[in-house]
Amino acid sequence: MSDLARSFVASKLASLPPEPPLPEDKEEREDDSSSASSMSSTGTVIPSGSLKPAAPIQWSDFFAQELYLELEKDGEVAKFHVYHTPSTDPRAPLVVLHHGAGSSALSFALFTLELQRLLPKAGILAVEAREHGSVVHDASGAVQKDLSIQTLSDDLVEMIQLTQARLNWPTLPEIWLVGHSLGGAVVTHTAKTGQLGNKLMGYAVLDVVEGSAMETIKHMQSYLSSRPSIFPTISSAVDWHIRSRTLRNPESARVSVPSLLMQTSTGRWTWRTDLTGTQTYWENWFVGMSRKFLSARGAKLLLLAGTDRLDKELMIGQMQGKFQLQVFPAAGHFIQEDLPEKTAEVIVEFIKRNDRSTLVLPPKVSDLLAQGKKV
Amino acid sequence: MSDLDQAIEQLRSCRPIPESQVRELCYKARELLIEEGNVVGVDAPVTICGDIHGQFHDLMELFRVGGDVPETNYLFMGDFVDRGFYSLESFLLLLCLKVRYPDRITLIRGNHESRQITTVYGFYDECVRKYGSATVWRYCCDVFDYLALGALVTGASTNLESTGAEYADPSQAHTIPSEDEDNEIEILNSNGHIVSRFLRTQPSHEPPSDPDSTSSPKPDSTRSPSPLSAAQPSHTPSATGAPGTSATSSSNGSSASNSGAVLCVHGGLSPLVDTIDKIRLLDRKQEVPHEGAMCDLLWSDPDEIDGWGLSPRGAGFLFGCDIVKVFNQKNDLSLIARAHQLVMEGFKEMFDSTIVTVWSAPNYCYRCGNVAAILELGEDGSNAGFTPRTNGDVGRFTGALGPGPGLKAPDAGMQRPGPGRRYRVFDAAPQDSRGMPAKKPVADYFL
Repeated sequence: MSDLARSFVASKLASLPPEPPLPEDKEEREDDSSSASSMSSTGTVIPSGSLKPAAPIQWSDFFAQELYLELEKDGEVAKFHVYHTPSTDPRAPLVVLHHGAGSSALSFALFTLELQRLLPKAGILAVEAREHGSVVHDASGAVQKDLSIQTLSDDLVEMIQLTQARLNWPTLPEIWLVGHSLGGAVVTHTAKTGQLGNKLMGYAVLDVVEGSAMETIKHMQSYLSSRPSIFPTISSAVDWHIRSRTLRNPESARVSVPSLLMQTSTGRWTWRTDLTGTQTYWENWFVGMSRKFLSARGAKLLLLAGTDRLDKELMIGQMQGKFQLQVFPAAGHFIQEDLPEKTAEVIVEFIKRNDRSTLVLPPKVSDLLAQGKKV
Repeated sequence: MSDLDQAIEQLRSCRPIPESQVRELCYKARELLIEEGNVVGVDAPVTICGDIHGQFHDLMELFRVGGDVPETNYLFMGDFVDRGFYSLESFLLLLCLKVRYPDRITLIRGNHESRQITTVYGFYDECVRKYGSATVWRYCCDVFDYLALGALVTGASTNLESTGAEYADPSQAHTIPSEDEDNEIEILNSNGHIVSRFLRTQPSHEPPSDPDSTSSPKPDSTRSPSPLSAAQPSHTPSATGAPGTSATSSSNGSSASNSGAVLCVHGGLSPLVDTIDKIRLLDRKQEVPHEGAMCDLLWSDPDEIDGWGLSPRGAGFLFGCDIVKVFNQKNDLSLIARAHQLVMEGFKEMFDSTIVTVWSAPNYCYRCGNVAAILELGEDGSNAGFTPRTNGDVGRFTGALGPGPGLKAPDAGMQRPGPGRRYRVFDAAPQDSRGMPAKKPVADYFL
């Protein structure tokens, strides 16, 4: 992270309540919030009356605006939640970020600062999936919990199009999709469906591979049951993420972890997303992902943490030069949180390199001949 | 037995040599490599190999199939290390052989012969695991910086005589213009049995799907081909090459069976390089850069496009048929041999056989299910062993050095007749699992 960004974040974090926070620190944080709108609007995603969501801390330090996008379709009412930072140039690309399961758009918070620093003109749209920051109700008013890959992908496209409508963009800008973990599976699926047409320039997947994900499925329930289900304070939840090395960057943990939690009626904190309940979809999320990743149109980047866990299909594809692979040995699973600066550097380099508007390639032989030149 | 021979013996049994010996070896190797140009001159006969990637047992299988050093001359086109479990033993063995038989073995640099890449893809970790420190990795990386960027094979014969028993009858070879005189490509399996042949006049050079189509039994799969020995004409007859043998008797004129030169490079071409001399001018003694000519040579891929394209790899370029044909003509090449891309069939010729990908790591990464190949180029003995330097550009545009009499001018004179190419295709060596590192830990969290 640049010194500037670091001092920026540090100064913001310094305004957070001291550790260990008292049980009533939530109110202090609300007072600290620089945006009243975030408070009022987060109330709309309360999935059940007895739970209060933890307010995202200072999302406004990372994004220019948050939007609640409503959509009525087929008897369902969706209220999508996205963060947005507009581009300063209508020709600049839009980078769309999709978090992983049980995570949130704020897992990209620090990454976003770095992205803006390196690509100042670009627009950034960080979406939240249903059962995360967004919520969908069916005709009877019950929460719609369909988390299949197709539904999540449709939601992503809806959120992009609703943002376009809300902000009155005449056309969609060139789009780069970045997805972490489940989000990687979602953006890969979206790319493969072609729903964004020729506006989709490329897609980047952060730390997920079909083969290793499928191998991991059988261990997932025991992993999930090993997590604490209740935290006495937000600060203790942040602590747990650091101590368990789930997140390795305390700065990012303090920004992202509060957005993963909801306050219970007893004042304690629990996970906002019931991951155990999503088990039905785990295979659906990842089956066929490698094939989709390799065969969809657009530039492709796979960024992995630790070691390269490529499955057979991706190993062949990589060794045939079909996509760009980058490995960060020092990062944990949440690459963009652990190494926001390096992740942004790779993404920006990927975007710049594949930007057709600036791409100048040497002439073709046939063109040279047509110009009467000797080859 | 010298220390070097002892080291070779030890490495052949897949046991690492002591750190002090590695240091000495790397020092000697650097002294040798520093004398080599960026583009090493290599005389046919030579066997060209692609990626190895630390698959030591498969490298042993390669030597069994292709013949041992120093009986067979080898040219390895880089990517010795990473991904496989025995990068260290594989690279050190090749380096030992290079120091022991400098004129018999040529090593050029691949994109994995780099500090940055080996740190991520296994070689660094392997060195630390086997020696307890990164010292040996540093010695090896210093050698990487001195590896040549390419090689130019000259003196390869256009003729490729069948090794099949049905063509062993000399009376037939002398009386009729039998089809084996025009054989351009021959494919053999790991037992030395012919799988298929392709005549020079045939346009398609795709590897066949039926391995039994023209197979003919060969007696001994573990033979050591001696290309310089005329006593074994049935093994590598086109390479026996001595004047007056059947290998040359049917050629019309002394230059007829001499092909253009073959450029060997790990990746491919660069928009910054239109002549081989431009490669010679590069300062190669450095870490592989992220862009520029040296990077492109190690990273680029041929592709079915027109002109140049962006490489999906994030480094190097894609280059099309037109680029290859113009480059080959300008540099008086008949063929570019390169590695770098996994080919499930072991090798793949493209663009009217102006470029070939050779891949020598069977069942890559112990899971890809591919076969491997090596490419043998025979020696043109028609000119009493004298090999004219063929990569000059004198007279190329006036056609003064066009194909010799008696040969069809392929592709309207654009293209030099390619060398006869014998591909030996082989599978992964049966491996016992001892010494295989434990399986990589699975991710504990994928959501």
